Amino acid sequence: MNCEEYRHRIAADPSFDGGAGHLSGCQACQAFRNEVLLLDDKIARAMQIDVPTLRLPELPAIDADNVVPLAARRPRARPAWFALAATVLLAAVVGVRMFGVGVTYESLADEVLAHLDHEPASLRPSTIPVSDKQLASAVPANVARLDHDAGLITYARSCEINGRTVPHLVIQGEHGPITILLMPEEAIAEAVSLDGENTHGVILPVGDGSIAIIGAREEKLERVEKSVLNSVMWST
Amino acid sequence: MNKSSAETARRRRFDQVVAVFHADMYRYAAWLCRDKAIAEDVVQEAMLRAWKSLDALRDDAAAKQWLLTIVRRENARYFERRRLETVDIDNLTASQAALLAEGPDEELNDLRESIFELDDDYREPLVLQVLMGYSTTEIGEMMGLKQGAVLTRLHRARLKLKENVAQEDRL
Repeated sequence: MNCEEYRHRIAADPSFDGGAGHLSGCQACQAFRNEVLLLDDKIARAMQIDVPTLRLPELPAIDADNVVPLAARRPRARPAWFALAATVLLAAVVGVRMFGVGVTYESLADEVLAHLDHEPASLRPSTIPVSDKQLASAVPANVARLDHDAGLITYARSCEINGRTVPHLVIQGEHGPITILLMPEEAIAEAVSLDGENTHGVILPVGDGSIAIIGAREEKLERVEKSVLNSVMWST
Repeated sequence: MNKSSAETARRRRFDQVVAVFHADMYRYAAWLCRDKAIAEDVVQEAMLRAWKSLDALRDDAAAKQWLLTIVRRENARYFERRRLETVDIDNLTASQAALLAEGPDEELNDLRESIFELDDDYREPLVLQVLMGYSTTEIGEMMGLKQGAVLTRLHRARLKLKENVAQEDRL
């Protein structure tokens, strides 16, 4: 693979992981790749426009004789989004609340797992650290102080969890991106295990709040947990 | 399962699917048509069509792609019905300009404008890849393109944006 071929592939698909032999010996292509990854992170953020409240149209009655009973569907085809987005249990019980409020989740753990499914851009492998400006914007000084020992932070954004704006960070682990959600106002009594489709993690109680750490199923999170706990201090 | 419980289950299934993917539907529509008001119309029509044809969705694991495909078709239908003029970046309607509503980050504002100005053929696969997380193979299936064509469009889209960013940096 030559420079032109490599650059064509990486600019078409930044997750392209071929051409390692070429990349290791070509500083120009390494620089090009880093530029593309940085640009892609910005593109993802630029595309995240605000979404209006869900309002369903008036739904016409469906001929009940033609309604296929759910039992006739593939009962074991457990949907990937359902697992990742967790069980929207309350929605399943009482229906989705509309006109002003989004989906209601059974638990903080469910909402945390569901949140990951909605920001696929955050889970792209990257070697580019976020800028200090971006990090400061995502983790305001009045929310938490963060040492740089936490690891290579490649994604930093403010997100909404349980109606509160919280810092959403991603560091790079041995088996891919590791998501960290700093939730200074989500007090929990004890650690909560998280079990997604291909992910696992934990929500740890930290002072009056909690921190969620989620990585690939193969990822050993104990070291990350220790590092994160040593790196984060609530400001309030 | 009796008729009534089948109807209830159908409605519950629809509510769940739409609630989970509404944001994706809206953002996809908005970047396709580059107009917030039209995007809302397109999503409304898409939800209506999804409701009517929900029973065609046999596997909920495919719900996101199924809904986005409906959005794509509804967007095309919308523009078939209305012969719209080409978008002029210097003369936007309020609803078009709303998509470019400026935030505190000037660099992101400039980039959003550059994405807005990309040709439809380049902007759409970029949205599907970056925002929706689809592979180039999946994008090819959704857009009816060969993978090579998708790769070329994505490559050109990023080079164009990269050029624009560099140009802004020089100014």
